[in-house]
Amino acid sequence: MSRKTERLVNLTIALLATKRYLTKSEIFRTVDGYEGSDDSKERMFERDKDDLRNLGIEIEVGSFDPLFEDEPGYRIKPENYQFQLGEVNAQEITLLSLAAEAWRGASLGSSALTALNKLHAIGIESDTELLLGLAPTVVTEDANLEVAISAITSRTTLSFDYLNEELKAQSRALEPYALTSRYGHWYVLGRDLDRKAIRIFRLDRISGALKLQGRAASFEIPEGVDISAAFSISTDLLTAQIFLRDGRGLNLRNRARQIADATTPVGWQKFEIGYRDHQRFVEELLWYSDDLIVSAPQALRDEIIGHLKSGMVRYG
Amino acid sequence: MVKSQATPVEKAARLLDLVPYISTHQGIALADLATEFGVSQAELLSDLNTLWMCGLPGYTPLELIDLEFESGYVSIRNAEVLQRVRLLTKQELVIILLGLDILYTSLDGSRADLQAAVAKLTDKIKKIVGNIATALPIVDSAHRATIALAIKSRRDLDLVYHSTIRDSVTERSITPLELSLDLGFEVLYAYCQSAQGFRTFRLDNIKSVTLGESSISVPSGEEGSDFQWDILVRSRFRTSAERFRTNFIPRESLESESFVVTSFSQDWLLRSAMCTLASVEVQRPPEARAMIADKCRKTLELYESPALPS
Repeated sequence: MSRKTERLVNLTIALLATKRYLTKSEIFRTVDGYEGSDDSKERMFERDKDDLRNLGIEIEVGSFDPLFEDEPGYRIKPENYQFQLGEVNAQEITLLSLAAEAWRGASLGSSALTALNKLHAIGIESDTELLLGLAPTVVTEDANLEVAISAITSRTTLSFDYLNEELKAQSRALEPYALTSRYGHWYVLGRDLDRKAIRIFRLDRISGALKLQGRAASFEIPEGVDISAAFSISTDLLTAQIFLRDGRGLNLRNRARQIADATTPVGWQKFEIGYRDHQRFVEELLWYSDDLIVSAPQALRDEIIGHLKSGMVRYG
Repeated sequence: MVKSQATPVEKAARLLDLVPYISTHQGIALADLATEFGVSQAELLSDLNTLWMCGLPGYTPLELIDLEFESGYVSIRNAEVLQRVRLLTKQELVIILLGLDILYTSLDGSRADLQAAVAKLTDKIKKIVGNIATALPIVDSAHRATIALAIKSRRDLDLVYHSTIRDSVTERSITPLELSLDLGFEVLYAYCQSAQGFRTFRLDNIKSVTLGESSISVPSGEEGSDFQWDILVRSRFRTSAERFRTNFIPRESLESESFVVTSFSQDWLLRSAMCTLASVEVQRPPEARAMIADKCRKTLELYESPALPS
């Protein structure tokens, strides 16, 4: 098992050190570890190239000598191998490290660790003063997050079972473009291949494991994909007027606008509030039960009264 | 044979990263190096022994990487080719990008210089990987840092806490015990000196937190008993399951589904039942049903009261 490891390291060294392209036969002759028939050497080399690519190491294929046409050569350009964020100062190293540290113990701990190893290898001491009083932490135990990130970065289609409102698992295929964490949940946005449209999925509503499907680089991520914009539809579609009891309905007050109304009884305030999802809003209003009265629209008021009456019948 | 869980490829990646790290930390103790790379010392020794066999084609001592670690301290020579720090993979860049987002929101306005530095790094990384990942944390990381410090140093905390269940903001003095996750949300388990009982606080509902006195003793003994309600869901299954925080499993077809819901807070159960009047029926216990009926009646009375106009 360490033969393979050794060979990968030796191949990297040879291809990185060379100033010109090395042909396959040169590689097989000089790099330690290529053994067996021509065919098996060939297969080994192909696998090694893939493995290095997965580590982010790009092997460049070029012409060894323009006179010898079909003898391709290989090398790794130092500029494609080395740390790509350029010159970084102590403050930047500290911030980058802190960002990676945020994943400690989360489902992507191993990528965080390798990132930290590289950042620390630069040899600039972190500015620990900077860290006082900060403990950014990424909260997730969901192993699917790692698969989602790797699908986006490698541009590989994802397939998964998604639970609908009836708790039925529907199989979906998605070209994932972006992901975000908000309201305490992780979401992935992409093109749903069956519905042929952009869709957003919440990771914790996926039943079982996310699976990579097909080959890497099988689609392009469109220019201007903006997952934040997809969430911040700024226009509220509907508005309602409600009365709230003194000091109650704190979450609602935060996003409502108080309105003056002479008929408002003592101990209550009147608000105008926007909402988008009707059913969710009805449920939210009922959470506050007798601390809240819907004033308008009449249909919403009637609906709340209807639920309360059927509750009386069922439980009374 | 050293037992190792890393694949040969992962091991190769680690070897490539060990070289620049040792180069900038010549003479580092084996134990420290093992900690940095998250491996056992045995595994690290196996790594170093493998690395020793690597080098430029030719593989004579002139070309091989020269490592010294028998003294228990590691130094390296003749490894110029691999001395450069390797580039960050896209996966690593994405997690750093998300980490920077979270860091950015935890910096307040008084640290505008740091905010600018974070924004600059974020831009740099987005130029490489694209605008493919963002995070909007719901917990203030300064709160988390204060809580962690309090647990470590056995101090009490003064909280300003917004209880969504009680629909009120209160000040409490608590003895913090443990940070953990509850269905994806960060929670603090603590003894609430104000309420004289064990409570769970959601970190995203903490308005402010300050270090208090050294911890007063926490009574041992039983926690307050949980309330347990049996519910029957008839529609809006996923929403209702999420609201009652029960685990849901996929079904072929569903007409109704029974759950048992437990909580230390009867108030939370009651409010959740009110929310879901249209889709959920609470079946047991009878006291729960009576409470819901009472709540419905009180609310209906308001709608019928002449004192409250529409």
